[in-house]
Amino acid sequence: MARITRRSFVATVGSAGMVPAAALLAAGAPAVAPPPTSHAPGNSADSPGNAGSAQTVYLFFSAAEAVFIEAACERLIPADESGPGALGAGVPNYLDKQLGGAWGAGERLYRSGPWQPGTPSQGYQLPFTPAELFHTSLRAILRNLDAQHSPFAGMSAENQDAYLESLESGAHDLDGVPSAVFFDVLLKMTVEGFFSDPVYGGNRDMIAWRMIGFPGAYADYFETVDRHGVKFEREPMSLAQDGKGHVHMRPDIPAAP
Amino acid sequence: MQRLKEVDVVVLGLGMVGSMVAKELAAAGYKVVGLERGEARFTVPEFQSPAIHDELRFAVRKALMQDNTREPVTFRNHASEVALPIRRWESFLPGTGLGGSMVHWNGQTYRFQANDFQLATRTRERYGKRFLDPDLTIQDWGVTYEDLEPHFDRFEYLLGTSGKASNIKGQRQPGGDPHESPRSRDYPTPPQKELHQGALFRKAASSLGYNPFPQPSSNLSQPYTNPEGMKLNACVFCGFCERFACEHFAKSTPQTVILPVLLANPNFELRTGCQVQRINLDSARKHATGVTYIDAVGREFEQPASLVITSMFALNNVRMLLLSGIGTPYDPVSGRGVVGRNYTYQTVSSAAAYFDQDVIVNPFMASGASGTVINDFAGDNFDHGGLGFIGGAYIGAVNSGGRPILYHPVPPNTPAWGKRWKQAVIKHYNHTIIIGVHGSSIAHRGNHLDLDPTYRDAWGQPLLRMTFDFPQNDLKMSAYLTAKAAEIGKAMGAKEVAGSPREGPYTTQQYQSTHNTGGTVMGDNPRTSVVNRYSQSWDVSNVFVIGASNYPQNASWNPTGTLGALTYWTIDALKNKYLKNPGPLVSA
Amino acid sequence: MIAGVRLPADAPKGRAPAFALAFALAFALAFALAFALACAPAAAAAPSAAAKPGETVAPCEACHGAHGEGMAAAHVPRIAGQSAEYLKKQLDDYAEGTRDNPVMRNFAKALSDQQRSTLAARYAAMRATPPPQAAALDAVQRARGHQLAYQGDEQRRVAACNSCHGPDGVGVLHAAPYLAGQSADYLTSALKSFQQDTRRNDAGESMRSVAKQLDDADIAAISGYFSSTQ
Repeated sequence: MARITRRSFVATVGSAGMVPAAALLAAGAPAVAPPPTSHAPGNSADSPGNAGSAQTVYLFFSAAEAVFIEAACERLIPADESGPGALGAGVPNYLDKQLGGAWGAGERLYRSGPWQPGTPSQGYQLPFTPAELFHTSLRAILRNLDAQHSPFAGMSAENQDAYLESLESGAHDLDGVPSAVFFDVLLKMTVEGFFSDPVYGGNRDMIAWRMIGFPGAYADYFETVDRHGVKFEREPMSLAQDGKGHVHMRPDIPAAP
Repeated sequence: MQRLKEVDVVVLGLGMVGSMVAKELAAAGYKVVGLERGEARFTVPEFQSPAIHDELRFAVRKALMQDNTREPVTFRNHASEVALPIRRWESFLPGTGLGGSMVHWNGQTYRFQANDFQLATRTRERYGKRFLDPDLTIQDWGVTYEDLEPHFDRFEYLLGTSGKASNIKGQRQPGGDPHESPRSRDYPTPPQKELHQGALFRKAASSLGYNPFPQPSSNLSQPYTNPEGMKLNACVFCGFCERFACEHFAKSTPQTVILPVLLANPNFELRTGCQVQRINLDSARKHATGVTYIDAVGREFEQPASLVITSMFALNNVRMLLLSGIGTPYDPVSGRGVVGRNYTYQTVSSAAAYFDQDVIVNPFMASGASGTVINDFAGDNFDHGGLGFIGGAYIGAVNSGGRPILYHPVPPNTPAWGKRWKQAVIKHYNHTIIIGVHGSSIAHRGNHLDLDPTYRDAWGQPLLRMTFDFPQNDLKMSAYLTAKAAEIGKAMGAKEVAGSPREGPYTTQQYQSTHNTGGTVMGDNPRTSVVNRYSQSWDVSNVFVIGASNYPQNASWNPTGTLGALTYWTIDALKNKYLKNPGPLVSA
Repeated sequence: MIAGVRLPADAPKGRAPAFALAFALAFALAFALAFALACAPAAAAAPSAAAKPGETVAPCEACHGAHGEGMAAAHVPRIAGQSAEYLKKQLDDYAEGTRDNPVMRNFAKALSDQQRSTLAARYAAMRATPPPQAAALDAVQRARGHQLAYQGDEQRRVAACNSCHGPDGVGVLHAAPYLAGQSADYLTSALKSFQQDTRRNDAGESMRSVAKQLDDADIAAISGYFSSTQ
């Protein structure tokens, strides 16, 4: 797999100027101001054909972390004959924006102690927020791989998979984080980044939805539900696209209304 | 702390139950204050699409649910363990806010059967006293199905529920569930359209001699105006039902069926952002004087009231009684006490049927309740002799959407990630039908709720502690019924069927159901119940507890339909008995 | 004027501007005959050849325009670029009567199923259509139209138009036609016909439910709003 250079980046974070009414609604604020009568061209990093290596401005991951994350995510959901994988879909961008935002800071996480490991039935019991979990785990991973002079991005795909499996099985202690816990969150968030609405910065060009045939956020099926067994043919639609089809990303939509 | 002017009634929790009670009592002329911890929200603008059709936000991050960062629940499987906080909701998702859980429910609206209300008596009669494990603490409710039938009817007509009756006053009607207990009339609207997966299930189930019928749905099949004058629209099968709110005024929620009427009544005052700390009692601890709450700004108030109704989410009802010292807390070691006793849940499993590429399912087209089900293995509808368990499940093609973050079925032995996983997801997404098995939950002396000794909420109060694991009875039941579901899957023509029966231990880390029931059990005997048959506390006669916390054990079906009936039954008792002559309605 | 004959559009009862009525009647009468001849089914005894596909466009053009741009004053909708499936369904519904319009009914009934599909596809494919005439709206109306489009109205119990009609009202395939750039007069007449049950071909009665909740001011606001968006 080609190494990804870090020299040049194109901003993919959502349009800076106009905040469309749909996005205001996503934040729960009543939107009454009429929109401008013409649409700004917008940042089209979400244009089709931008599959392949992601060009993302990373705000949360350091350069070294981003290299690992890009390669790891791409093994979790690889590009293949069906289409792009996590990298082409912008999953590292999704992770970066979530971990750098309210979710990473511990939204929807009960954070009081005391802390005990607990049984599997009791779930996550570490004090770390997702952001802390990632930084802590990645620091340990990168340090271990550096010590072995075996950077992840330089490994063959088989060796990368083997390394990920070792994380998954809990073979490593990542400065206190059981590696299985880190792997579980990484996999979960990779799947989220792949299949969530592109408003969050992943699922670029709705590539994942196209792959499985999920139509997206516009979902009126009253008549089509009668067509038993007939494939539903329609471009997927994002909750954040405008009338011209541009998706206006807003990765900072909070979990809580 | 500020002491406010006394009112007639204070209602804790403005979900459906609280909204119904408040509406009826305010309409009867009483001054009612409603205290809701969450915020007010309405179909416009909060529930509008496309913004509401955001799986990550609402289904994964659980935006509409109770704020667990301030008040989670602690959990352990057994009393020998230390309970730890459920730091993220997964297994169950308590609601909050104006309208409560029924804002984002699936609309599945069943009635429990006559047998369920006298489960202990009828089980003994049919199978003998020795049939049951002595650790199982099932009980009769103290009300019968016949008591509740007019109230079931009233609730279904409030909602406009779409379905097909089978037994109208003993007369058999085609197309419905032959096992249902008698109803006074048909559903207010006809069943929703059948999905493709429902049609496949129906044909297979019929071929095996079962009796499939359309799931009763409160996502309406057609426009409807309810007796309160509220107009609802037809559901469009958008596939964003449970965990999401409905933009089309098509889901029966407090907002669409009753709240506008309640909020227009000047006898009623809504206060949101109010966290009730306790119900206050007089010095003899036999009479409630009102409640103490803290508002969103952190100010403490005392709201005096003649009558206190706690109508919160089931778990919160239990906690409120424990925090207030109403009723004796249950001690599982001695078996004495009642508050927190008989906590039950739902025993949920499934069988996945994987079809060839030519079977196109379109899972994303669905309402929350547009399934096709059978009740042939629910409740006591089949002979349990020799099986070693009681209870049952409805089984059906009940999938309510195809949202891909959480729904991307793959056959067993598929790796959890990588190319083969991706290929399997693509291959099976539109060609899989999940057959749900929705099973009852039997009461066990070890499963209970109490207050946690260590962890506190943001207001400094002890959290509710849940001690629960699946009794062997329910695991046996699940194995038996999941196999039945798999047989139906094979009869549907699936290439491969994989049953996943429920296995212990119960985990809080996988979503199963938000049907947390029990803890303030109703009954005839104050030694084994918290409230009497009118939902009135045995200990404090001006406190009424209305919720699925009153269920002595949980039956095969979703609790909401029965809770609506119980609510109207209780409202009837409040208006016509209690408020005319306050005091205990049943002698202990 | 022949009593009882309606305009080509589903006009509200008794509200047609006089010139538009006369104009449309002239076309209806003049072209009904030509149309009937042109559309004679191949198996019929009529001596003229079966209509070539191109010839069936002409009667549509007379009201819907050479580029499918419609005729706002006569409440004739813009149909260029509209979903083919939707256009076909309207023709079917006109023929069947669930969308009540005697003139369109005659046109639709004279078309075979295949001809309806062909015509629908032809208009769906039209792109180079002149921009629509936006209705004049004051700021209050524009704000109200925008609010109904993007949010809906709690009191009126109507969801946001865009939830079904798509982002900025551009339509959603298999679900709802575009509203953006549609003639305000046509939209008004369509909403009125839903309100009055002369149009009953909406899935789940969804448009009838909406229209019956709206008053004339709302209808003017929403119609004008969408006519001014692209």
